[in-house]
Amino acid sequence: MTASDLRSKNDFRLSKQQKMQLDIKIKHKGLILVAVPLLFELVFLAVLSGLLRQAEYKTWQEMHSKTVVYESGALSRLFHDAGIAMGGYALTKSPLFRERFDSIVSSIPREFKHMKKLVGRNPSQKDSLKRLETYTNSGLKLLSSARDAIEIGGEGISRVRSLYSEMKGVSKNISTELDNLTSESRKIEEDGPSARKQSDQLVRIFLAVGVLFNIGLTFVLSYFFSNGITKRLFVLTDNANRLARDEKLSEPIKGTDEIAQLDTVFHNMADALAEASRKERAIVENAADVICSIDSDNRFTKISPACRKLWGYEPSELIGTRYLNLVISDDVEDAAIATRALRQGQQTASFETRTYRKDRSIVTVLWSAFWSPSENSMFCVAHDITERKLIEEALKESERRVRSIIENTLVSLIVIDRFGMIELVNPQTEKSFGYPAEAVLDQNIGILFPQFMAAEDNFIEDLFAQASGRIADLEMMRADGELFPVEFSLSQLETNEGTRYIANILDVSERQEFEKLKREFVSTVSHELRTPLTSIRGSLTLLNTGMLGSLNEKGERMVSIAERNTIRLINLINDILDVERLASGRVEMQFDNTDLSSIVERSVESVRSFADQHSVKIEAEASESKVYADSDRIIQVVINLLSNAVKFSPKDSTVTLAVKEEADWVEIRVIDRGRGIPEKYKALVFERFQQVEVSDAKRKGGTGLGLAICKGIIEQHKGTIGVESEEGKGSTFWFRLPKALEAEAVTA
Amino acid sequence: MKILIIDDEEDIRYVCGSSLELIGGVDVIEADGGHRGIELAETEKPDAILLDMIMPDMDGSATITALKKNPETASIPVIFLTTRTLSLDFARMKSLGAAGWVVKPFDPLTITDQIKEIINK
Repeated sequence: MTASDLRSKNDFRLSKQQKMQLDIKIKHKGLILVAVPLLFELVFLAVLSGLLRQAEYKTWQEMHSKTVVYESGALSRLFHDAGIAMGGYALTKSPLFRERFDSIVSSIPREFKHMKKLVGRNPSQKDSLKRLETYTNSGLKLLSSARDAIEIGGEGISRVRSLYSEMKGVSKNISTELDNLTSESRKIEEDGPSARKQSDQLVRIFLAVGVLFNIGLTFVLSYFFSNGITKRLFVLTDNANRLARDEKLSEPIKGTDEIAQLDTVFHNMADALAEASRKERAIVENAADVICSIDSDNRFTKISPACRKLWGYEPSELIGTRYLNLVISDDVEDAAIATRALRQGQQTASFETRTYRKDRSIVTVLWSAFWSPSENSMFCVAHDITERKLIEEALKESERRVRSIIENTLVSLIVIDRFGMIELVNPQTEKSFGYPAEAVLDQNIGILFPQFMAAEDNFIEDLFAQASGRIADLEMMRADGELFPVEFSLSQLETNEGTRYIANILDVSERQEFEKLKREFVSTVSHELRTPLTSIRGSLTLLNTGMLGSLNEKGERMVSIAERNTIRLINLINDILDVERLASGRVEMQFDNTDLSSIVERSVESVRSFADQHSVKIEAEASESKVYADSDRIIQVVINLLSNAVKFSPKDSTVTLAVKEEADWVEIRVIDRGRGIPEKYKALVFERFQQVEVSDAKRKGGTGLGLAICKGIIEQHKGTIGVESEEGKGSTFWFRLPKALEAEAVTA
Repeated sequence: MKILIIDDEEDIRYVCGSSLELIGGVDVIEADGGHRGIELAETEKPDAILLDMIMPDMDGSATITALKKNPETASIPVIFLTTRTLSLDFARMKSLGAAGWVVKPFDPLTITDQIKEIINK
């Protein structure tokens, strides 16, 4: 028979016993256990008391009967003695007899009274007693009469005789009545000893039976209740043991008593424990991290299935092996130190190691370990942090780079809060401004501005308005008071501590100096080149006119070449100057509301002869539009576009100048029927020195700067410029300008 | 028509003068600096003065200022012969009292017409 069969049998027996149990609470059972024997004892004592009283009564009754018999005998004897005394007195006349007679007669009423007292309570003897009283009184009267008759003497003696005979009759009656009265007592007296014996026996028997019954009852009740409690407690204990062994509990104990309630609680607790255990198991089984226990010899004793994913081993492969075997040799010492510290009293530890997977690849693991002295084991959670480490490394690297950039950039970077208080500065800031970092930290950025030093109101607000999200050209101040130009911009930065701003400050003093030098250089070169070129060009042109004398054919040709190339050089210088000025924003535009028709007319007029030379017709649409522009500069653009169109148009074709007007802007389109621009060049044609074909500069002339200048001019007008072209079919160069301002706006 | 050219560069004076004389048929007198130019302007009373901007000793600005201050020469149109091409420069020339400007290098064939156009404006 197996253990489970035994348990089943036990379960069956228990449940049968449970069915036999009365559904009474333990406190009530206790009460019954005490109350029932007590009640029985009370009844027993009451009955015993009754029996004793009955025995006592019988004893008394016997004594009483004896007294009655005795007293009745005494009364009877008194009458007898009175008769004798009366006879003696009658015969002797002796006063002794008379005294005796009187004494006896006087005792008779007393004796009767005593007798009456003894039997008077018995209703059955009432009549007899009454008769006895009558006879006694009659007897006394007869005795009294007899005494009187004796004393009289003579005839009286004869009377005495008759009285005596009467007296006999009365005495007989008295005796009869006394017999009646004492017959019951005599019977009681006779039966007394046997009755007393019987009563004593009854008491003894009752006493014995009562004691035995009480003992029996106590045993029965004790057995009954103890059986009910201990058996149920046994079930409870059994359940506790089952719980400890992680086995299924017995059926719940029936009833509503405390044990049943405790058992219900126990079952609930077992269910909760089972549920918690199931959840715990589910967590352990399904945890992404490896959960394991490691004994004092560093061997895995238990390990969750997550080890398959982490290390590629089955749990069974790892159990019994040393966990340090997984750790790469460089990290073994760290792991061993951490493990030792745990065993020496440090309750928890967290350490990182690189470990080998089954395929010998390396995975970085974070061990969170807890040492249990009672289990003499280490409980660990091993978490794969390989990716995190890579990210951390990448972050560190990124941070290193960013830090390096911040520390090495030539831009001063200052982190400020919304009030302008400085929280961070980079080394360039210290270098540029001549302040050590600690001197400016927690100071307002305003200290770096001369205006702030002059205590200008709303300086910080103005600074934010001026430089947030855009570059502002400002002047700042170094520690020694020197002012220097900067490009200053503020960019917003969201941090955990709230919004911050990064002030990007580029010291442009050197650049400005360089720009100035460049401008001066260009200006100087331009001037210095123009002056000799003026002489050369003039000389060549004059020579070419023939007014200074004739040259031979070759000479004329040489002079023409020289003149043409001088003009080309002059144009190149002019264009370079224009480009430089446009790029540096130094071209002062004379903006005004201008009739587009006038611009178109003047432009067309300027290129007319050039177009005629190329046999190209120019057609311009009439327009009434007005634009807000520097007319000379726009004419320069239109001339450039028209010249290009003419240059690249086939003979006898037409270049069209069209105008398109929209709500806010006007578009001027120059359309030719030339060779068009390949797609790949479209984006480049507005760049400097870019021509679709390298040979164009030679064949068609031009510096390669014309469209770059056009773009610069249009952008200065806040306009846009572009090209649409289809290779072989021609190009359309267009630009848009803002429309002329309304009268009110202009006035304003 | 008589035009005074004030320029420190002899080559410029010669080419410019030749252009005006040969192409435009204009009488030309020359001065190599501001002081000399002012003297000639006073004495020769030219119809127009072509004045270089950048010169040693007395530059174009000082010269025109002196010319305009002098009642004898104040009415003579002064045209700057300049390598400057910025609007700012032109505005400055205008403010000094210049009638106009001819940008170097000029076209010898059209310079006379340019000058005439400026004078007649």
